[in-house]
Amino acid sequence: MTQFFQVVILGLSLGGIYALMATGLTLIFGVMRIINLAHGVFMLFAAYITLLLFNNFQIDPILSILITMPLMFFLGVGIYKTLFPRIIDSPRYMEMTILLAFGLAMIVEGGLGFFFTGIYRSVNPSYAIEIFQFGTFYIPKAQLFGTLVSILLLGLLWALLNYTRIGYAVRATMQNRAAAQIVGVNVERVSTIAFGLGMALAGAAGSLLSVLFTFFPAKHWQWIAILMSLIVLGGLGSLMGAFTGALLLAVAAALVSHYLGPTWQPITFFLALFLVLLIKPEGLFGKKMEEG
Amino acid sequence: MSLLRVENVTAGYGVGPDILAGISFTVEVGKTYCIIGPNGAGKSTLLKTICGLLRPRDGKVVYMGEDISHLRPDQILMRGICLVPQERGLFPDMTVRENLVMGGYIIKDREILEHGINQVFNIFPILKERGSQRAKTLSGGEQQMLAMARALMLKPELLMIDEPSLGLAPKLAREIFDTIRSFKELGMTVLIVEQNARKGLAVSDWGYVLDLGRERFEGKASEILADERIQELYLGKK
Repeated sequence: MTQFFQVVILGLSLGGIYALMATGLTLIFGVMRIINLAHGVFMLFAAYITLLLFNNFQIDPILSILITMPLMFFLGVGIYKTLFPRIIDSPRYMEMTILLAFGLAMIVEGGLGFFFTGIYRSVNPSYAIEIFQFGTFYIPKAQLFGTLVSILLLGLLWALLNYTRIGYAVRATMQNRAAAQIVGVNVERVSTIAFGLGMALAGAAGSLLSVLFTFFPAKHWQWIAILMSLIVLGGLGSLMGAFTGALLLAVAAALVSHYLGPTWQPITFFLALFLVLLIKPEGLFGKKMEEG
Repeated sequence: MSLLRVENVTAGYGVGPDILAGISFTVEVGKTYCIIGPNGAGKSTLLKTICGLLRPRDGKVVYMGEDISHLRPDQILMRGICLVPQERGLFPDMTVRENLVMGGYIIKDREILEHGINQVFNIFPILKERGSQRAKTLSGGEQQMLAMARALMLKPELLMIDEPSLGLAPKLAREIFDTIRSFKELGMTVLIVEQNARKGLAVSDWGYVLDLGRERFEGKASEILADERIQELYLGKK
């Protein structure tokens, strides 16, 4: 039993980081109906930036969030403004955004491969191999820090969404885009900011990822697949859903990995994805898909 | 004085056909108007075109002497035209209060916003009781009230309501129409689109009959209600 709880603790301490990753993706989907297949590659992009900052300037990877987040925010704003408004009136908008994001992912992956080659990397601050011991249980320090930072960031996002004018506008646009326009929300501006925010979260997640996982440019396909399963379980476009889905699957994956072996771990996510689509396609917190 | 003039407006969605095929009409200050007509006549499209959600392909919309046909929805809202859309257009997971805050989204002054919410709560006391409930948990009638209350947050010069009685039981529909009548007493100009033509015309001064994107008839609401041809074509036999 002790071992079971230990595994659950390890799962939860990764769950917070998964939640951070998934929230950015689901935020972008919720506001703009864009399935941002490039979310994973932008996390890796931020991970490489973190690596550069650590290797060249000895900046702590967790602290480097202060750099990667704003950087990715403005990158997101730029990408959104350059690429998306020109297709917004297309009747095939949704399909086009998927292809656009897919193409973007290929380009960034290629760029990362060119500059950093395909070898496995990770950022190794001193605490990367240390653990916290409490009683019979332990948590790797990096995982604990990562999850605490994730929860802090998600809390800030929650406060932003619930207590600021722009936050109200973002939520309103997610819930009813046409009505948001009717009450005078400039939905294009909200979309730009939301895309930037989603990318900023990808940036933070990337910095944390760089300590916790090894990475190489093509690794993002695996990440985006995992993230898709998290947000589909929670319900596409639901922030609460992304959070819950992330915690549930992180724990499930940890348990599978412990009792069946690490090779079975990735399949936890995809099995969950299949089952959700089969049984409850709208996910735990999602709305039934509307037409169009 | 004419508040709004729609001049020869043609409009449609995307690359689709014209839904409005050259419409002209005038709205005078302080009166209540009802647009009736069968499904697909272009009634909702007309309202969307006036408030800027849809750009006219041809013709123009003139409000207080200014051509507003090429302004953004938020700019038109700022000039005092509010729309209560079909099926209410609420934010389902936001509370009643948050929906009202969104109604006053373009008001940046917190105090004016709070004042507006209190005024609206005075008109609709039931909404005050429901203040912290999510909009999707309200009954149909309450949702319609919230939708109208949200539009009132901006104290519009021209309030447009699309299908106010849609999906409501007769008793609730009557309450909603009573509320609309009280807007007139407040001096507001109201333009409603209503499937239930008799009810709609009964609270209005003036009626327009719209069919296939064109205006078929206009006149005093009471005259339209009495006109046998129109009764037969658009009001349905009693």
